[in-house]
Amino acid sequence: MSLILLFLDELRGFAKSKVMIVLWFGLPLLSFLIHFIQPETEDFPISFLVVIVVSSIGGTLSGIMLSTSIVSEKNRHVYELFLIRPVKRYNLLIAKFLAVFLCLTIAVFLSLIIGLIIDTFTVELSENFLILIFDSLTISMCSMAITCSIGILFGVLTSSVPVAAILSVYLGSQLSSLLLLPMFFIPELDPQNLAIILGISVTTVIMGVNIILFNRMQF
Amino acid sequence: MALNEKIETEMIKEKNSIDEKLIEFHNVSKKYNNLLALDNISFTIQKGEIFGYIGPNGAGKTTTIKILVGLIQDYIGDVYFYGKKISSRRKSFHHLIGYHPQEAGFQEWRTVDHAFKTFGKLSGLSSGHIEKRTQEILNLLNLSDARFKKIVHLSGGMFQKLRLGQALLHEPEILVLDEPLTGLDPSSRFQFKKIIKDLSKMGKTILFSSHILSDVQDIADKIGIINQGSIMKIGTPEELQSSFQIGNIIELIVAENTPLCKGLDQLPEIDSIANLKSNKQLIHLKSDVDVDFVINRILAIINEQKCKIRNFNLLKPSLEDVYLKYVGGQI
Repeated sequence: MSLILLFLDELRGFAKSKVMIVLWFGLPLLSFLIHFIQPETEDFPISFLVVIVVSSIGGTLSGIMLSTSIVSEKNRHVYELFLIRPVKRYNLLIAKFLAVFLCLTIAVFLSLIIGLIIDTFTVELSENFLILIFDSLTISMCSMAITCSIGILFGVLTSSVPVAAILSVYLGSQLSSLLLLPMFFIPELDPQNLAIILGISVTTVIMGVNIILFNRMQF
Repeated sequence: MALNEKIETEMIKEKNSIDEKLIEFHNVSKKYNNLLALDNISFTIQKGEIFGYIGPNGAGKTTTIKILVGLIQDYIGDVYFYGKKISSRRKSFHHLIGYHPQEAGFQEWRTVDHAFKTFGKLSGLSSGHIEKRTQEILNLLNLSDARFKKIVHLSGGMFQKLRLGQALLHEPEILVLDEPLTGLDPSSRFQFKKIIKDLSKMGKTILFSSHILSDVQDIADKIGIINQGSIMKIGTPEELQSSFQIGNIIELIVAENTPLCKGLDQLPEIDSIANLKSNKQLIHLKSDVDVDFVINRILAIINEQKCKIRNFNLLKPSLEDVYLKYVGGQI
């Protein structure tokens, strides 16, 4: 029960603090601009590029947002008012993760729709176009989930907002891109299945570590 | 029901429940790494009491409070509510306690109304009940005009009231207020102290910490002095003052531009006389004398001398004297 309340509260917070507007309008706008910034991609569907660029930028932004908001809320003792109520500590982190991931997913889908509309009018689409887009989307989503969990890790571990932001920028998305490494060395692997397995398992492990560390913190 | 009627009803309830132990700390200790924050403290708070918890910064006040509200759970010793140990059944005690933290902030995007809604829901209240309580609390705290303001735009005094308001939301029996008067201007302090007294009259049991003596003296029924993790003394303000011996001193003030009383030093019961100002004397009596007898003899001399007395006062130790004795001058 408290997880749903906290999740809705986080979503409301993103809406009120304009984070959603930045993600939901900024990223689709970016996907629109990619088409004009990269005119040489004339015969290449813009949707592929959009999924990769938007998820990479959105993932990094989310990592920064999560890490800095957690550090800031810890430093301002925001969690004390939640924890004196019948709220499980881990629900605070899970709600934050789910809210950010949902916002990001919606932003990526909105961007993708823009990309698809542009592609429909500008390039000749192949038969397996949608399957390829879906594969690319799955890999990007898994990468974003890992980036978000790493953002939370930095938020829990550090006590300085700039340090949390810097770590998220330099390490967050780089660590999540490790997800793609096995595909380069083992060509037989199915990239989509591998991404799903690694995405879920790595995110679960990192979130587990986050929860253990958060439970041990003194407020 | 009018507020006055409610207060009277609650006062009757309070009288009925007198001497009922609500909170008990039994040999509680807490260490942060190698730092001993609390050293085997024990005390009891009766139902309906205002317990002032005073000590210098870093004495262990906030640690005690965080143990009580459940923010610290790895401590040694036992804490009881109504005789039931709290460590194992923490959740079932939540409805009993409202906590005003010393520092806790709110997310900057929240309005006062939204903060009440969120914390009300998390406390398990229904939407209708939250609305009713929000209106009651905003009226009580004189915050109605700020209901839809963003919290970041509130003044320091309003922010403190909001902290208190969220603590009152679920109508707890016990209010735990950690430094509630810190950072308030004199007018807000006065208002806040009045609110605390009113809440006490409504039957709430209140534990509040402070490092400001006058605040504790104004409000508390019982005072606990803590220093370096140990409870130094507990008692009513009167008990604490009477436990502290400064010797019997009489303060004598005569009218401006009139001579000080002479001949008092002839009394064998007087140890010494200090002339502090042109019109003020401190008469130190010997320790083994009958104070009432000596006062009569001094008054007789004053009459003989026809001194123009403006003030004649047997000095008692102030709470500050008691506090400084136990904390060694640290504030």
